[in-house]
Amino acid sequence: MILVNIISFFLLYYLKKFFGGENFSPELKKYFKFGMLGAGILALAGITKIPPKLLFDFLSLALAGGIIFLIINSPELEEQKNLAVTPLPILVVQVVKFILETFLPSYYEVIDKYLAAAGFFAIIWAVTMWLNHRKEMKAIQIERMISKEKERQLFLAQERKEELERLVRARTSEIQNQKEELLQALNHLKSTQEQLVQQEKLASLGQLTAGIAHEIKNPLNFINNFAELSEDFLKEIQEEVQKENGQMDRENLQDLLEDVKSNLKKIRHHGHRADNIVKSMLMHSRGEKGEIKNTDLNALIREYTNLAFHGMRANPNPINVEIALDLDESLKPILLNAEDFSRVILNLTKNAFDAMRDKINGVSSDYKAKLEIRTKELEDKVLLEIEDNGPGVPEEIKDKLLMPFFTTKKGTDGTGLGLSITHDIVKSHGGSLEIQSKVGEFTRFRILLPNSAT
Amino acid sequence: MKILIVDDERDIEDLFKQKFRKETRNLGLELVFAFSGQEALNILGSENPPEVMYVFSDINMPGMSGLEMLSIAKERFPQIQISMISAYGDSENYNKAMESGAKGFFTKPVDFEALRKEIVKILTK
Repeated sequence: MILVNIISFFLLYYLKKFFGGENFSPELKKYFKFGMLGAGILALAGITKIPPKLLFDFLSLALAGGIIFLIINSPELEEQKNLAVTPLPILVVQVVKFILETFLPSYYEVIDKYLAAAGFFAIIWAVTMWLNHRKEMKAIQIERMISKEKERQLFLAQERKEELERLVRARTSEIQNQKEELLQALNHLKSTQEQLVQQEKLASLGQLTAGIAHEIKNPLNFINNFAELSEDFLKEIQEEVQKENGQMDRENLQDLLEDVKSNLKKIRHHGHRADNIVKSMLMHSRGEKGEIKNTDLNALIREYTNLAFHGMRANPNPINVEIALDLDESLKPILLNAEDFSRVILNLTKNAFDAMRDKINGVSSDYKAKLEIRTKELEDKVLLEIEDNGPGVPEEIKDKLLMPFFTTKKGTDGTGLGLSITHDIVKSHGGSLEIQSKVGEFTRFRILLPNSAT
Repeated sequence: MKILIVDDERDIEDLFKQKFRKETRNLGLELVFAFSGQEALNILGSENPPEVMYVFSDINMPGMSGLEMLSIAKERFPQIQISMISAYGDSENYNKAMESGAKGFFTKPVDFEALRKEIVKILTK
């Protein structure tokens, strides 16, 4: 029976050592404490043989049964339930032994040997079970460790992921800020560019103002003069009509009437002319875009070459220049944004005048400045050439000529945008611009436009 | 008496013809017209001796300017009187014209009464 107590003690000790601690409720700990104490006392009592054997045996079995009952019924020991089974056969053998010894001593003597054998097997079985349980427990522990490690790794990974996410968020907002700043800078640049383009427009308008004033003055003078003449003629006609029959000079009357008629026609013509000039001036000063419509390119060239010429003449440092227009009269109207395209003509003629002025100031007096403007209808294109016999363009700056802000003009003479804008306008019409030049001889701007004549 | 008017505006012909209608009919004035400096020199050079006695020329014309025409014409036909007409009454043009031997300098819009007086003076000389 001492064995039962040792087993009881060992069972409690083992469970407490390996599975006790935090997991155990204080109540369970108390059971364990008293259980171990009880087992210890019983074992000692068994050795000293102080209590009567019957009581000792009964208490020992009761304690062992109580412990097994405790193991099976404690939720904290769910996994250790198998352990409760371990000493069960020993206990059964001891119980049987106890019952037989106490109540049927005659039988006991007969099966004592069998009981001893059963007790032996029960011990082997208990040991085997216990070893098994230990193995299982170790496996569970390893599994626990693995899952704990996994959990740790997962936690670390989670932490790392959060750290990365934080970094990404920080970087994203940084990039977002930078993007916003860049966007602002871009918008600023855009509006500056628009302002520059507008300024360039106004600059070319300023250049034209004198030419336009001159151009308007001419038709207005004609209108005034022809109106005044017509008034005089009508007075004369009135006088003639009031003469006596026979004295009336019919021929003179006829002449006067013809003149008045033709004068009125001229007044209308010149009024129309002035009107057009004002219209085109307004077109230039307004910031809005013109519209693409069928346009007589030759007429546009005539009008704006003339304006550019008079503008140049009216501005400081006018030069004498022969303007030769060689326009293909078979050219039908093509689709153009007249407002934009007129600036191509103005810019290129102004550019030519400036170039030729440089040559006039630089070379001997027998140089005659000449500007030639040609149009020609090709199969599916319209060719426009503006050629001056100025100083020409050196090969090394030819490519730069169309770049914004590139200028060979000193000081405030040029914005450096004229040719770049010209190029943009040509491109927006689906056309191409090519510069051909020979230093000292000529510069030729060759523009090819799609022939959209219908 | 022949007077040559040089201007690149075509309607100047009708205008002058009408303005000097009476002088043409009554005082024997004959008006000829050229529409460029070169054409003016051609007309002057085509007559020998030149019949044109007086030239009124615009300054701003494409190609040969009035001032260029003036100095060439004055060199070749010093006896012909030439007056300039300019839309721009700047002193630079005026000085150049006078240096090149111009007789007078009129600004646009042309004061036809002043011009008429000048012409009548020549006609009645």
